[in-house]
Amino acid sequence: MTAPFFFWFFAAIVVFGAVGVVAMRQPVHSALFLLLSFFGVAALFITLNAEFLAAVQVLVYAGGIMVLFLFTIMLVNIRRTAGQPYVHRQAGAALLVAFFLLAVVGGTIVASSRTSGLADAPADPAKLSTTTISRMMTETVDGKTVKTPVTEQVAGNSQAVAWGLYRDYLLPFEVASVFLLVAMIGAVVLGKRTMEHVD
Amino acid sequence: MIGVTHYVALSFLLFAIGVTGVLIRRNLLTVLMSIELILNAANLNLIAFSRQLGDLNGQLFAVFVITLAAGEAAIGLAIIISMYRLKGSVNLDDASELKG
Amino acid sequence: MNPSMASYLPILYFAIMAAIIPVAGLAAMSLLRPSKPTPTKLAPYECGVASPTEAFDHRFSVRYYLIAVLFVVFDVETIFLFPWAVMYHRLKLFGLVEMLVFLAILVVGYVYAWRRGALSWA
Repeated sequence: MTAPFFFWFFAAIVVFGAVGVVAMRQPVHSALFLLLSFFGVAALFITLNAEFLAAVQVLVYAGGIMVLFLFTIMLVNIRRTAGQPYVHRQAGAALLVAFFLLAVVGGTIVASSRTSGLADAPADPAKLSTTTISRMMTETVDGKTVKTPVTEQVAGNSQAVAWGLYRDYLLPFEVASVFLLVAMIGAVVLGKRTMEHVD
Repeated sequence: MIGVTHYVALSFLLFAIGVTGVLIRRNLLTVLMSIELILNAANLNLIAFSRQLGDLNGQLFAVFVITLAAGEAAIGLAIIISMYRLKGSVNLDDASELKG
Repeated sequence: MNPSMASYLPILYFAIMAAIIPVAGLAAMSLLRPSKPTPTKLAPYECGVASPTEAFDHRFSVRYYLIAVLFVVFDVETIFLFPWAVMYHRLKLFGLVEMLVFLAILVVGYVYAWRRGALSWA
């Protein structure tokens, strides 16, 4: 699928970042490790021929969500949260649950990878970056209109995503805008209410 | 040879780290960051299978997961700010009024 | 490694260089400079204004958060606009109408935020 070096290199970055998020005491340090992890995931997206999503990952996660997190950390007084204990009371039990989850799903992945053909060679990557568009071409031949089917190939991952998104996923796309509307209104309502309480 | 299994295993490791963060941390901000890790793990999984099967639908799903993550972060952080203004704390254990 | 991925290598080299240069600079400085700290030398320095000598302690206004939320929502809107723009001439009128509906729904939220005063700073 990709050169092993790149996979292991970025996988190491992702895991290092993720462990940092969970292990750091200060939220701002966690946020910076999270940023590292986001960049690692974006690089892995490129190794998986998802160039558009790699760009989206950097734009939305590293650009947008990270800003939101850092602003919230600024809004929340760090000094008052500094002395508090850092793990939950039931951390031992929680770790046990996480470990069992790791064992069960990890075991399933290992077991199924031997039998289910997941080790098969991946599909042709060109499938993810070419779009076949078929349409009717109207021509006027000898005073008559003739319709002939034409197919054209469009290269590029963003183009392929666009074609899928705006043709096959029409309704989810419009629902996404309703979702964003709800998120925006919700955040404004919550934010304004706290503002009126305090200021 | 790096195959889809490697990506799935990495995705699951990321998911497990995220779950651990959600379960053990008391700081709500870190819990929300761990949820972002979980969503990233889901995306990695979707895109790994999209690459394996040569099917673009995985990438399209991931676009919507990222949209969802943005909305979730916006509302989640607004709730954290409200809770901080109300209780002066972002500690999960302080939000236990409904505890039986 | 296929050619399309190889075209991303310069970005990787760039990222690695961007990481190496400041780290190497800081490492070289800490190796070369003499270290004789005094309290005055360790005090934070800022040009022109009196530098804060204690930890930063006051909270920012929640308005910053509202602005950031609007930024994130429109950021996500942009990621939908980009693929639409690259395929615009093939999606034709259908794509245009689709995107106008999408934008119209989001403008409702924008107007709401405006009317609630989330955008005013005073």
